[in-house]
Amino acid sequence: MKVLKEINHFNSIRFLIYLYLLLHLFIREQQTLRAMIKKLITLFVVSLLIFGCKSGGERNKSDDFYVPEDVVNEGVLEISEEVMQDIVQNISSPVEMAALVKSLDVNFSKEYLAPTDNVDELATSFQQAFHLGVYAADLGYLNIYNKNNSVIEYITAIKTLADGVRVGQFFDFTTLKRLAQSNQNLDSLMYISVHSFNQMDKYLRSDNRSNLSTLMVTGVWIEGLYLATQVAKSEPHPQLAERIGEQKIIMGDLMLILENYRGDKNFAKLISELNVLKDEFEDVTITIKKGAPEAIEEDGMLIIVQHDVSIVNISPEKLKSIIEKTEQIRNKLISI
Amino acid sequence: MKQFLKLIFFSIIFTSAEVFAQENVELVAQCAASAGNVTYLKDFIVKLDAGVPGGNPPSAKFSMVLSKNTQYRFSICTAPDSDGEAILQLFDMNELQGSTYISATGKEFPFFDFKCQKTGVYHVFISFKEGKPGESVGILSFVKKL
Repeated sequence: MKVLKEINHFNSIRFLIYLYLLLHLFIREQQTLRAMIKKLITLFVVSLLIFGCKSGGERNKSDDFYVPEDVVNEGVLEISEEVMQDIVQNISSPVEMAALVKSLDVNFSKEYLAPTDNVDELATSFQQAFHLGVYAADLGYLNIYNKNNSVIEYITAIKTLADGVRVGQFFDFTTLKRLAQSNQNLDSLMYISVHSFNQMDKYLRSDNRSNLSTLMVTGVWIEGLYLATQVAKSEPHPQLAERIGEQKIIMGDLMLILENYRGDKNFAKLISELNVLKDEFEDVTITIKKGAPEAIEEDGMLIIVQHDVSIVNISPEKLKSIIEKTEQIRNKLISI
Repeated sequence: MKQFLKLIFFSIIFTSAEVFAQENVELVAQCAASAGNVTYLKDFIVKLDAGVPGGNPPSAKFSMVLSKNTQYRFSICTAPDSDGEAILQLFDMNELQGSTYISATGKEFPFFDFKCQKTGVYHVFISFKEGKPGESVGILSFVKKL
């Protein structure tokens, strides 16, 4: 990976402006009290603009349809917020499923991507957060295949949704767009995309909006599964079948988290849809063969080889059934 | 004048928070870049106080799902002004899988690769040698499919 220089300097600029104003005021301290009060007022107003513009800019029309996320979080959680945050981390990555597909020499297909036409119609934070995850997974797929032409369409959709759930400040749209258009620094494009997603996820959880973070993660997960199952349908491969089968483990954790928000009717509906898929995984069995990890040093680099092995048993009929159900549910969920 | 001093006080607090956040972003970017030709997946930002003498060093825990037949890289970078040297350890349940510091030999590694053969939830612990205080960033990267 090249040295990454494409960091958002927005915070630095704000900091410098603020520092300049402060110094300016300090130098002028010798002036009359009246002049100083004037300066203080000016500084206060400017500070409000600088520090407040972030939250102000994040508001959009969806505030009128704001899903009662605070109400959801106030409900009695079956598992604590801390434990939940622990589970949520990296439950699903927007990159890994796409990387698996590419490693199998499967050609890129735009057919697997969710359409972005109706982004402006997604009015509630529930819909926005879920679709944010779906498009993040699609962006991961596009990045893995270096399909920069389509990247702009997806980063535009993500930016709209991120602003909708008030995490737009973590999505460096300008830099991403420039990188995608220039067709250079593809590693930076990938890095900023994934990092932005992580930042949004972290912020939502720290802001007591884990419900939206959970929706984002659910969106990433279902879109990743959809990609794997669609590829498995047209180009079957044992590694894909295994990866699909082992989603049983991840789905168990995901459902556990989602259940916490059952009190909200939108979540209840989502859980009900996903439970149909969960039932499909019942017959998938996963066994573990135990073994101690082995440490190898190669060219001064430490490599740990795990000797615990998970073995997934999934019948062709079951795989077919999971593929069908995933397609139905994912299509239904993205059409909400 | 009191108001002016108050303003300075709050300004320092606000600007410190801004600078701290910015430094984190830069450290994550630097650490991700130093991991080599791999794909960044996740970062773990840690700020720990000094440990109590005679007690276990303070540590931060992060949980994540790793997938079978995948080679991951775990990197650790200590912030320049930290007293301690950060260590990253990977656990599967209670079983240590790998560490950037081998206590038996005293060897340190900026990163290690993990060839995962079992899909499941794993735990990363980040601490500082001898329980010293400090800030660090751990990075999880995707290396390749096996």
